Amino acid sequence: MSERKDSWSDKKSSANQHIALPGKLRYIQYQHSLESQYLPAIRALISKDLSEPYSIYVYRYFLCQWGHLCFMALHPTDSSLIGVVICKLEMHSSHSPPTLRGYIAMLAVSAEYRGQGVATALVKMAIDAMIKGNADEIVLETEETNIPAMRLYERLGFLRSKKLHRYYLNGNSAYRLVLLLKESATDFCLD
Amino acid sequence: MVSLSKELMDLSINDPNPGPNFDAFQEPPPPALSSEGIVAQDITQRFLSAAATLEPGEIIKDGFFTLFESVGALEIMDPKMDSGCLAPGESLDDDYDVARPLLPSEVVGIIDQLLSLEMAWHLGYPLSQTIFTSVYIERMLNPAPRTLQDADFIKNGGDGSLRDPMHRALRAYCLGLLKSCFYVNERIKHEHSYEEEDFVTNTYNRSLLETIDRYEIRDEIMEARKILHETRHTLPDEMTHALGFRLEFRTAFLRAIELSELRSDPESLSLPWAQMQGVWEVINKTRHLGKPVPEAFSTKIQRRLASTMPPRPIVQPSPEETYEHFKKLIADGINVLNVLNYADSQSLLNFVLHFQAQKPQPLVYIRSILQNFLFNDMVILGRLSIRQVLDDDLSIVVLPSSLLLDPANDSVEAPHHPRYAIAHQMELFRQRAAQSYLDIFRAFCQNRCRVRRTLFHSLQDWEMVQTDAEEIDQLLQLQTEEKPLVYPPSGGVASHSLPLSSWAYHYKLRLMEWTVQLGFELEIYQPSELAGMYWYLSYLSKTRARHLERIKFFTTHRLEASLATTNINATAAAADGTGKINTASPHPSLQHARSQSYLHVTTLEAALTSELAAALCDLYTALDRLGLMQGTSRQLPYGTDALRYEVRMRPFVTVGLPELPTFEAFLDTVTQPGKQTASLLEGAARAAAHARAGLDRLLHLGSSGAATEVFAVGSLDRWVERVRGWNKAAVAVGEAASTVSKAIVAAGVAAGDDGVVAERLRVEVPRPDKVDNEWWIVPKVTEK
Repeated sequence: MSERKDSWSDKKSSANQHIALPGKLRYIQYQHSLESQYLPAIRALISKDLSEPYSIYVYRYFLCQWGHLCFMALHPTDSSLIGVVICKLEMHSSHSPPTLRGYIAMLAVSAEYRGQGVATALVKMAIDAMIKGNADEIVLETEETNIPAMRLYERLGFLRSKKLHRYYLNGNSAYRLVLLLKESATDFCLD
Repeated sequence: MVSLSKELMDLSINDPNPGPNFDAFQEPPPPALSSEGIVAQDITQRFLSAAATLEPGEIIKDGFFTLFESVGALEIMDPKMDSGCLAPGESLDDDYDVARPLLPSEVVGIIDQLLSLEMAWHLGYPLSQTIFTSVYIERMLNPAPRTLQDADFIKNGGDGSLRDPMHRALRAYCLGLLKSCFYVNERIKHEHSYEEEDFVTNTYNRSLLETIDRYEIRDEIMEARKILHETRHTLPDEMTHALGFRLEFRTAFLRAIELSELRSDPESLSLPWAQMQGVWEVINKTRHLGKPVPEAFSTKIQRRLASTMPPRPIVQPSPEETYEHFKKLIADGINVLNVLNYADSQSLLNFVLHFQAQKPQPLVYIRSILQNFLFNDMVILGRLSIRQVLDDDLSIVVLPSSLLLDPANDSVEAPHHPRYAIAHQMELFRQRAAQSYLDIFRAFCQNRCRVRRTLFHSLQDWEMVQTDAEEIDQLLQLQTEEKPLVYPPSGGVASHSLPLSSWAYHYKLRLMEWTVQLGFELEIYQPSELAGMYWYLSYLSKTRARHLERIKFFTTHRLEASLATTNINATAAAADGTGKINTASPHPSLQHARSQSYLHVTTLEAALTSELAAALCDLYTALDRLGLMQGTSRQLPYGTDALRYEVRMRPFVTVGLPELPTFEAFLDTVTQPGKQTASLLEGAARAAAHARAGLDRLLHLGSSGAATEVFAVGSLDRWVERVRGWNKAAVAVGEAASTVSKAIVAAGVAAGDDGVVAERLRVEVPRPDKVDNEWWIVPKVTEK
């Protein structure tokens, strides 16, 4: 339970709330110079669906080390934040042999822009960046009740590998999802 | 570490609801340090100038600062993280007066809220968000009471008869509540569960009346009830009853807890639980008499607890949920006692399997009682040694009336006597296998997600148990001078019976099947994986059914041979008085018969599992071909199907036997490209019909015979219920297959043109909580 998090939620979205965009969204990679402009918005967007907001250190933990694995979807005209994905990529060595494991930590899309493929586009960018970074596998957790999120990841090729009982503070369980990118050595991990 | 620069403060100030302002840079002067051996140096300026070179938001950390640490970090003055942060004008404490007179209806209201909070705690929420939100409880526990007199929300409230009976009743209730929480918490801490996942044992440095004797508390509750009785003329009858029953609930629960430590006669242990059951119904019926007192509960108390967490909301199930959960807790509390009636090792295992398979699963406390019954002090159920249970199991599965299990072997002292060597080898085996065997029981006492994961870990262990057992088998067969037999008789190679490794292999296969079945139950597999996973289940069960046939063959042969020699030796042994090697154990015929029934039932179960799983594989494959399964036959943007197979089958890669098929072989077997869709469906219908017929036989065994026949002593009802659900699944598979077959005929399409059928049918893959047996996910096929 070292990586507790809540994730993208589609619960509140419904067709009539959707706002049509006046043009194409801009997708950009995060960099540190954007912190003052976008970090407050990123926090606001992600903590919207969270009962337990992360401290600023959690965001900086990710963004300072793996800013290149964070992507933002921006409004075509006013450049406000519409969606964001935050990841990390590092050696995971609690099992042998160690693997270079990508982790999708947070994904959020502003409720009124859901259902237009924004989240999928963001996740694909993050996966592509992690593949470029030579990732062996990518994992994440998602709340058991968050069916749209699971669909999104499963359509991209993720599999549920295990269920985590009462993983979140609200008492909900989670699924661990895995996308294996390279054939692993004969050894394997169970946990 | 994280740079704690001005940037942080700026961000906090950006918060729309800022806390009280203070300037981080108006620092107090450094403390005057004077300690021997320490030369104090003010590094403030150096620190500030170093920090000034950093970009805002930059992180300086060492390699050991992990995500976990960053999640644990707090932001000072953020009300959601900083436990001391108060909104403007907010007070640190509540000013609820615990000494104020209470109406009887208010006492009922407070107690009923406490019951809901107690249940929330049982369900896994921390005390801080449940019982500890009560102002009465807080005043009672803080400062920590040492004596019964101290344990009062009105300090020096006096114990004389002058005391307000309503205060007295509420205090007695709280005493009983806290003491039972103490025992529940201790029991859970003592057994295996997952902190913060199943349950939170943290008491935040508050003692749950640990030092106060349970009988003192019981007497205090009795006294409060007596006083209620004496003052009954001042209250409406139903109000007196409502209060009295709530107090009785506490004494009964305390008594139930006390008795459950005994592990003795289930009948007498169940009395207080039965009392709770009756009282609980009355409590539920008198709920309307209560008047809620919401101001007697507060989230602010959490600030006084030993915790860095800022106050979190009170977690309180609705009265209806509270009623249902307690009702289930009590029913399970009574039911779990049945495990104490030991009949045989397989009934014991079935009891645990069926008890834990309930939906919802029994609460952690009940699961902990079960663990305590099973394992406390290494004495199974309070009266059996581990060896007794293990030997019982070996005798049922592989070694009925076998010399290897004869207790007389232990008393042979001559080192060259075969019995001496046998005793030694068997003891080695027991030492090797006992823990792994007991771990199966322990694993099934966990939450369902953990059961699956724990079994995956056990699988590697059992792989080694099997290997080690085979070595011991080979040593033992020298001692017993066992002759190899040709198996299968129709033309195999000569081999020995290998009883111990056969036993281990049987469990290893069961473990593998259970993990796959739990995958269905826990919705691990996507619909597109169901065909493949049912095929794999079928493969495992079929392997086990065949293995059981082999065990049966060797057991039967050994017993026939030994029966023949016993007849000869009986006269010889009577004449010379020596203990011949071929002497069988006591009650050979009983043990033999028991083993035969076990092998019969278990082989049947394995074969039926295989049959129905194969039917489902065919059905799902057919549906997939017809384009009726969503999300399959589609190129996914990332990864490959082979890599996904690797992820799914990872836990089985290290298993030697049965070997995991390659992805290509797996794909070929599951998709069956050589078979027409119509014949796949015919096959599915036929296999489902076979399964149905077999399940009818199995049910007949269970319902006509005694529970001993199907090894479900103590859990026959649940066994029957599960087999019925399984049977319904078989019926549903047959119906689904025939619906699809008919649609194919009706569409009148040529073979190979499957697409048209999709227009006529609708397929829904139900969720596990919507099927008759959660291990059988049968698709619902309807005509459009």
